[in-house]
Amino acid sequence: MQTESSTASSAAPTIKDLPLLRRSASVLRENGQVAIRHLRDEVTLDGAAAQLFSKAEPYLDGKTTIEAAAAKLDEKPARLRALLERLEKVGVIGFLSAQSDGAAMTGLEFHKLHREHCNHWLQDVYRHPLWEKIVSGRASRAQVLGFAFEKYHYIEAAFEHMGIAAANATPEMMPHLARHFIEEYTHGDIYRKGLRSLFPDDVILRSQPLPSTRALVNYLNESAQRSSFSYYSGNELLQMTENEEGGAAGAVNEFYAAMRKHYPYTEKLIDAFIAHTNADQNLGHANAFLLMCQSVPPLTLREVNDALNVARNMAEHLLLFMDGIDIFYANFATVPRMPCDPLSE
Amino acid sequence: MASTQTHYRTRRVYDIKSSAGRRELRLSDRVVELGEREFQWYQHVAQWLPSVKGVAELSHELGMDEAKVPKFIEALEKSGLLYRLDDLPKTMTGLEFHARFSSVLNSWLSEAFAHPFWERMMSGKGSARLFTGWLIELYHYTKNANRHMPLSAAHAHEKPIKQLRAKHYAEEWNHFHYFMKSLKELGFSEPQIAESVPLPMTLALSNFMRQAAREDILAYSICSAVLEGTTTDRRTYNPYYEKCAELYGVPKEAIAPIYAHLDLDVKYQHSDLFRDILQHVPEMSAERASKVLDYGHQLVEHIWLWTDNIEKYYQVESNPVPRRPFDIRVD
Repeated sequence: MQTESSTASSAAPTIKDLPLLRRSASVLRENGQVAIRHLRDEVTLDGAAAQLFSKAEPYLDGKTTIEAAAAKLDEKPARLRALLERLEKVGVIGFLSAQSDGAAMTGLEFHKLHREHCNHWLQDVYRHPLWEKIVSGRASRAQVLGFAFEKYHYIEAAFEHMGIAAANATPEMMPHLARHFIEEYTHGDIYRKGLRSLFPDDVILRSQPLPSTRALVNYLNESAQRSSFSYYSGNELLQMTENEEGGAAGAVNEFYAAMRKHYPYTEKLIDAFIAHTNADQNLGHANAFLLMCQSVPPLTLREVNDALNVARNMAEHLLLFMDGIDIFYANFATVPRMPCDPLSE
Repeated sequence: MASTQTHYRTRRVYDIKSSAGRRELRLSDRVVELGEREFQWYQHVAQWLPSVKGVAELSHELGMDEAKVPKFIEALEKSGLLYRLDDLPKTMTGLEFHARFSSVLNSWLSEAFAHPFWERMMSGKGSARLFTGWLIELYHYTKNANRHMPLSAAHAHEKPIKQLRAKHYAEEWNHFHYFMKSLKELGFSEPQIAESVPLPMTLALSNFMRQAAREDILAYSICSAVLEGTTTDRRTYNPYYEKCAELYGVPKEAIAPIYAHLDLDVKYQHSDLFRDILQHVPEMSAERASKVLDYGHQLVEHIWLWTDNIEKYYQVESNPVPRRPFDIRVD
């Protein structure tokens, strides 16, 4: 339930002050108890601690010192500090005075933090209604085939974003990104093989991704061009949906079995999906980001924020990718999506 | 019949209406009426053309003798629903291309704005929150012109086209201030808006424009022309703003800067820019014409999905407005 979490453990040893209740924390009150939830963690206060927290909450704005807050509450500063430092350990409180733009954390500390946040940001993707529509057989032919085509386009785009990332990598990131590109660039062909059971090769090669799929690929491309570490922080979130214990991988067999049952024409496509998941898992990509984090020099606060913003944006783009398949193919049921020519319009 | 599949393609159908056992299929230049049975047959043919299925399977699906299938396909061609690849022009001039683009632009725009969001806003089922969200995303989209307009000038090779793209940028680069003014009238502070982050689909629009700028200056210019096409006529946008002001209590002072911006676009005649650029293109191959058109249509689809993304996010009361960047110190 409670986990030790220090987001600025390598920061300069300044006095912790200017406490802030994290924006993403939620506070619930019931029967005199206060439950504070942040990501997967939750801490429950009762009795005097719950009362003190409730009184102090308006001052946990990152602008008020502990001394000033205690004076307004007619409390001993030491007592308030003790409570806030306890809450900091479970991640619900931060101290803004203790942060500078110097080295904020090591790569390994970042890796742990990244994992906690990404698992949280991925929840909306795992809960997306398209999964249930496919599993229950309520998805249309266009949505099911569209799902296969969009996955193909996304995987095929490894040529673009992994190539750009390797070409723009820092010295520490380059060997990892080069290896990743070389291991992944043929994976689009695995999906293409599945699609060839239903469509001619030239139709597959000329087909167009949805704007939402293009959005995901272009966001990867643009991030890869700008910062190789932030790019991979975002790409890792995508990898986690295939590799993470307890993530989508846990439900994947059930999903494919239901798909085979409701949409028998997708048999070969599902074989391709499974072949790709196996290929990814055999490459040991689950550890790729850990190795990268071990290689990079300590990260500044700016670098940490940039890499986490890219990861959060990637989660939003992944949700958009799912929305696109669900909504766009429901409204525009043409699949495969062929490109325009001067007579088609 | 395998050659049928490689020689025929379907034309884009922009809308299908049903009435009294008949279907009306709207193309860019005509409306084709089909009986219910013929419409089902047409759908089977449209699915069969890009597939690996043989003619025997199509004949079975249609419940039609195999020998009669070619005649039915020819009838679909005559109606305008299918066309032969052999009929594609091998080359065309830039101005011929522009004429073709102009003939489909209205159909494209009707597709781009077919999202139910617009009807919802105009019928009073929207909200001030949705209007504000849309305005914030418009601010980001306009500000992000600085991410793609100069890139298009950098990637243009012919001097006259470079000149036109640079002039367009010089006239547009700071237009995001108009939306900032509107948002300030709605009670936001400048830093709140300037430091906010766009929705993924807003960012996707400018990323797609960057992709087009790197790919082909005409691919970029057609996307720009589609976007400018949405602001050529006050009659198309005034009713939306006026209705929103009335229904959702948006102050006139928040609308005035938007009108000022749209009027400026009209004054600069930016909707003519694509034709001015194409005047400098003596010949386009069929491949290039296809690619450029395809970029234009993809932009149309981006607008539809952009609208969807705006509605989905801003209709949820608990979502922060404006959207803040993630900050490890406070999140």
